[in-house]
Amino acid sequence: MIEKTAELVPVLEARNISKTFKAATHEVRALDGVNLSVARGECLAIVGESGSGKTTLANMLLGIYPPTTGEMLLDGALLPARRNLPLRRAIQLVQQNPLSSLNPRRTIGASLRLALDVHDIGTRQERKTRIAALLDEVGLPTEFASRYPSALSGGQRQRVAIARALACEPEILVLDEPTSALDVLVQARVLRLLDELRHRKALTYVFITHDLAVVRNIADRVAVFERGIMVEMADTETIFTNPGNAYTRSLIGAIPIITDEEEALRKTVLENKSAH
Amino acid sequence: MSDPILSLRDLKLGFKTYEGLVEVLHGISLRIGRGEKVALVGESGSGKSVTARIILGLLQELKAARISGAIHFDGADLEKLSRRERQALRGTRMSMIFQDPTSSLNPVFPIHVQFHEVLRRMDRNLTQKQGMQRAISLLTDVSIPEPERVLQAYAFQLSGGMNQRVMIAMALANEPSLLIADEPGTALDVTVQAQTLHLMRDLVVRKGTSVLFISHNLGVVREFADRVYVIYKGRIVEHGPTDTLFSKPLHPYTKALMAAVPRITGGGIPDIAENSEAFLDPMIDHEVEVPA
Repeated sequence: MIEKTAELVPVLEARNISKTFKAATHEVRALDGVNLSVARGECLAIVGESGSGKTTLANMLLGIYPPTTGEMLLDGALLPARRNLPLRRAIQLVQQNPLSSLNPRRTIGASLRLALDVHDIGTRQERKTRIAALLDEVGLPTEFASRYPSALSGGQRQRVAIARALACEPEILVLDEPTSALDVLVQARVLRLLDELRHRKALTYVFITHDLAVVRNIADRVAVFERGIMVEMADTETIFTNPGNAYTRSLIGAIPIITDEEEALRKTVLENKSAH
Repeated sequence: MSDPILSLRDLKLGFKTYEGLVEVLHGISLRIGRGEKVALVGESGSGKSVTARIILGLLQELKAARISGAIHFDGADLEKLSRRERQALRGTRMSMIFQDPTSSLNPVFPIHVQFHEVLRRMDRNLTQKQGMQRAISLLTDVSIPEPERVLQAYAFQLSGGMNQRVMIAMALANEPSLLIADEPGTALDVTVQAQTLHLMRDLVVRKGTSVLFISHNLGVVREFADRVYVIYKGRIVEHGPTDTLFSKPLHPYTKALMAAVPRITGGGIPDIAENSEAFLDPMIDHEVEVPA
């Protein structure tokens, strides 16, 4: 958690952004009038089910496509529709399935190198040591540089994906369901790594997920999306103890839980609807 | 418990490969009583799904598979059955629901054709019209509004949750004694998953169907199952009634599994040690095993 007293400087801001996709016969409004800002060093969770607009939002934050209307700001400066290299370097992505996000024909070292090559970071020799340092940072042995993704376990692959995102020293990481494909023990270890990295390197996270139990333990604030609209935004504690929105409550009600304390909390949340 | 619907005794499985025999199951013993909902919980690669496939008699067809141990279904020794006899069991007296409902349905036939195929396994002389009527009543059981419309549709025209209901209705169409559900609804949204799970639970309770519920999701297991087997690297490490197992897990592996699940009450991300030797400790049984 970040210090509540610390000055909250918005590093990334979205002002009234919308995205409409045009099909031959109809239009799809994937995101509608979203306002949000992410403070430096915070972890903002984006929560919602499929079709809620989570991934559309991520793609726009990353500059893969611009919003149809509205504007985005990085460090207070307006982001252009087409971003140059330094702007792209500032925001990096970790995807859900490392098996499809890592090139199977490239060694781990080559995958990490590509990020350094593209962004022209360091000399030949420096890149070599940087790759070793990156693997070390995510808790993998340096020998892994010569291996292929197929020779790694799911958790190890996801660590590589994280290392690649960190390669070009971004300010912000967009994490799109980074642990949903992992087994529960592995998920806990990868989440812990992500949490550690954020504090050690003063990173800012936009954490996209449908798993509210994960959100509770890693995020500072939560934005809940339903069919392209941000229906609720609050700090994590409030979302879980006193959610203001019916959809948020139904999401909390649907989480599979394993302890009696959780059951009690879920019950209070579901019964509290009269309070609003 | 007397006369279980299914019992596995010291079930072993290996696969013949170029590098020799790879052992996958190291002696699984498990039983499911009549009308009981039993969960098999474990991580990927632990042997959950191959166990299900052996029960259905699907792995027996595979030349590379080496299976030993006893499998009794409704009093009969499954290993003694011929391929044809095993095939006759599937879809009639035992059936299965898979993880991703949309890809388990055939995309080139409308739902009603697939229903008819299932129903005809029990009644060769079933007419088109009778089949339709049966299908409509089965879809009504799983709370599908406008079943007539759904029956004319193709799987890709329906939502994931709708397809899952169709799969549940189809799996229960011939009133099987045993339903095997392998990670049902994992591919669905949480709210939809919760709904369909409740629906499936109510339905099997009403019909008295026994269920083998395979999952890696402890929370889902806790809400669904009467009894739980925890599987790790091809061995059952702990087994007991759901309440006992969740309130007092004893095996180091089960404890680690429980600890690793993030809680909605907070408390941070748990610190999980690397896979430890202790995970292979002897099995803990919360019940006194009654010899069959």
